[in-house]
Amino acid sequence: MSQPALEEQFEPTAGDTVAAARARSSWELFRHRFRQDKAAMAGAIILVILALLALAAPLFAKITGHGPNDLFADEMLTADIGLPKGPNSKFWFGGDSVGRDVFVRTMYGARTSLTVALVATGVAALIGVSLGMIAGYRGGKTDTFISRLIDIVLSMPILLLAIGLASVCSISPNGCLGGLLQPGLSLVIAIIALFTWPNMARLVRGQALGLREREFVEAARSLGARSPRIMFKELLPNLLAPIVVYATLLIPSNILFEAALSFLGVGVPQSTPSWGRMLSDAAAGQIFTVAWWMMLFPGLFLLATTLSFNLVGDGLRDALGPSER
Amino acid sequence: MGKRRQSVRLVGLALALALVAAACGGGGDEGSSGGNQQTAPEKGGVLRTAISDFGFTNGFDPTGEYVAVAFTLYGALTRTLMATKHIADAAGNEIFPDLAADAPEISSDGLKYTFKLKPNIKWGPPLDRNITSKDVAYAFQRINTAPLVAQYGFYYFGVIKGMDGKAKSPDTPISGIETPDDQTIIFNLEKPTGDFLQRLGMAATAPIPEEVAKCFKKAGDYGRYVISSGPYMLQGSDKLDISSCDSMKPIAGFDPSKSITLVRNPNYDQATDNLRGNYVDGISMKIDTNIDDIFSQVEAGTLDSSVSDQPPKPVLQKYLTDQNLKPNLHSNSGDRTWYITMNWITPPFDDIHVRKAANWIMDKQGILQAWGGTTFGDIATHNLPPIVLADKLGSDYNPYGTEGNRGDEAKAKEEMKQSKYDTNKDGVCDGAACSNLVMINRNVTPWTDAEAVVVASLKKIGISVKPRELASSAAYTTIQTVKNKIPIALNAGWGKDYADPYAFVGALFDGRSIIATGNTNYPLIGLTSEQASQFGVSIPSGVTIPSVDADVDACQKIPNTDADQRNQCFADLDKKLMEEAVPWVPYLWAKNITVTGKTVTKFEFDQFSGYLSVTQMAVNNKETIS
Repeated sequence: MSQPALEEQFEPTAGDTVAAARARSSWELFRHRFRQDKAAMAGAIILVILALLALAAPLFAKITGHGPNDLFADEMLTADIGLPKGPNSKFWFGGDSVGRDVFVRTMYGARTSLTVALVATGVAALIGVSLGMIAGYRGGKTDTFISRLIDIVLSMPILLLAIGLASVCSISPNGCLGGLLQPGLSLVIAIIALFTWPNMARLVRGQALGLREREFVEAARSLGARSPRIMFKELLPNLLAPIVVYATLLIPSNILFEAALSFLGVGVPQSTPSWGRMLSDAAAGQIFTVAWWMMLFPGLFLLATTLSFNLVGDGLRDALGPSER
Repeated sequence: MGKRRQSVRLVGLALALALVAAACGGGGDEGSSGGNQQTAPEKGGVLRTAISDFGFTNGFDPTGEYVAVAFTLYGALTRTLMATKHIADAAGNEIFPDLAADAPEISSDGLKYTFKLKPNIKWGPPLDRNITSKDVAYAFQRINTAPLVAQYGFYYFGVIKGMDGKAKSPDTPISGIETPDDQTIIFNLEKPTGDFLQRLGMAATAPIPEEVAKCFKKAGDYGRYVISSGPYMLQGSDKLDISSCDSMKPIAGFDPSKSITLVRNPNYDQATDNLRGNYVDGISMKIDTNIDDIFSQVEAGTLDSSVSDQPPKPVLQKYLTDQNLKPNLHSNSGDRTWYITMNWITPPFDDIHVRKAANWIMDKQGILQAWGGTTFGDIATHNLPPIVLADKLGSDYNPYGTEGNRGDEAKAKEEMKQSKYDTNKDGVCDGAACSNLVMINRNVTPWTDAEAVVVASLKKIGISVKPRELASSAAYTTIQTVKNKIPIALNAGWGKDYADPYAFVGALFDGRSIIATGNTNYPLIGLTSEQASQFGVSIPSGVTIPSVDADVDACQKIPNTDADQRNQCFADLDKKLMEEAVPWVPYLWAKNITVTGKTVTKFEFDQFSGYLSVTQMAVNNKETIS
């Protein structure tokens, strides 16, 4: 078994040294191209900074002495009708409609947004890649079944389902499905993952469909490799580039999805700071017309994050597949 | 059960106090042009209003409709045996004969009410005939008809003999209602009911003409054919062809998705009416889903008044700070309490000490600020709004008063120490029962803002809650289902249906009113073990659920002709609830805010409906309805 497998491994590139050289050159080529792309590099740097800020959120809370849910009504709300007060030396981004520190909440919001984006995208990618690869590789009835499933999921009314699930899962402290789904963060992640995997699956299926007829797959099959092996060792490495590119571009849209759900009141609860939720709090009752800081800061961070992910995604696509330019 | 009205937006809550102030101060709140009380306001013009959503619960059919906005319009469209003057404050809660010629003759046992109708009061077009006692009886037959879904029929079922709400058709006569002649109607009651006259002021009891209404057998269908018995009618009523059921087409003046337009009823004789002013020639209420647009139109003068929509804080800020605009902001008592309710069969709230501690710790001032300050209401210190109790508890009654209403940690902890859930007696709840408690809330401001305050307050005594933010109706449905056993909820409020304490106490605290779904006795006061097993819940062992049913009955026996004694009785009951039962943390007696434009020469608030009084306001906009 090991002998044919070994041969098969080297077969496509027809020679040890050549393969190594080529592999190196393509990686270098990629790095070179990506570094050339100034926009993508800027995006990557911003993302690193955002990640650091998210990690440092508790530190900011400590420095300012303001927890993300601490209320400073006396300092940050007008006494008469409770309008929030603007940025000052202690509250760098001002206060929100109940007197919380917008700066600290924006930092904590980075955690929520990034967590949701990464976890939901990860789950979506996992489901999408697995099902897409199976559908594309096996074809036939399996393909039909998975493709119809994709169609069904894509035709579901996302928001109605989200609102319904949020209500149904609100009665018990443990949410529903045995605690698997809880209103708030986990429900938001589940909903986003549930509705974004089909596109990933479609993409992967299409690619796999083309790849399975290629010679190196034929060769592996003729050498006796089993389907899982072929999928993971042959197809997956060749699918990695489009998957990475698509996932990177999916992240910003998922961040906005979370913001939209929170904006509509079916997202994370107030006690979990999130940019989307902060924007929705700013829009509620037109409060942003007198408290611009409530909308500006989380809005800027949201913009920076999605823009950066998009730039990095574009950069990756260009660097990985120059032919698509 | 008042829940419909309670779930309507809160716009109306705040006005009463301001109006009290206005009344005492010579009408200072009524605007520069409305201050002169001596001369009668100018007649004419059209009262132009807009609302973001009618929110009708029964298609505007008076038999079932249970939304306060409809009640404000019915004040112009219908007349009931008894009615209020549709004015602000306590005076607006007083009830007078309207369709009735005089106060009724009441038998000594309080079981028989005999009314004489005013003679020669006519139906509006196209009927043009006299209103008779049989038209009033027919309204009750409709209330008694199950398919027509009279949403507050419970005020009459089991009260008037022969009414149980189970009739299949409105043709079925009611044994307890007699109409010996066209001018006389007699009600025979099952039991003395002290607030029966108030119940005859509700719009469902206004006369309904059988020849028109018989064609509408489904709930809400009559809403587009309401024939006027009052000073105004739906525009185009005169065009209604009533020769047969098939010939009737919806009256033009009510388009459920767009607007309601009322014009003067030509058959109406002002001489028969000493309650209403009827200054304007027409009333229009248009749907405008953009709340900001409503307020900017009012300011620009293309609308005369807001209705139930609350001004956003920035608009409020503008009206409070601009001296020219300030007189156009009206804030009146909504006769409504907002409260945090705690479930007596769910730990830790099955322990009265925990409930008391929650009352001590609550930062009510913080909640008030979240709502937008005193324009939107006053901090509630007991369950029933003072105006409903005729102030019998006094303004200084505050069993859980704290400095600045910010909550008192020391007193709360003192109380918590006595609880079985504080095992180490440090004043902080440490049992597992105190963590992970679901708290139902609404998903809009000001509740979402208030939530932050409530969560922070409860945390100080070790109670950690998990807020669940739902749409208003979903939030109500969730807490109104007994078997959901929701421990604590922030979404609920209660406004009066009519000005009597029973309109609060009956549905909120009476153990016999507990039902499996649609329950409004949220704490489950007076829940019996039989009821519990019927609803699929259980009372925690070692817990006794107190009942106030006997107190309710004792107060309800006192007729409201003896208002003093009756209100005192209910005030004592409220005190008992606050100190010995502790069902809620009441936090706000809300006010309703109305914003009017410069064309309004007289503003008036209808204490009965909780919104502007369309029959008592005057405008000088010279508009006409064509």
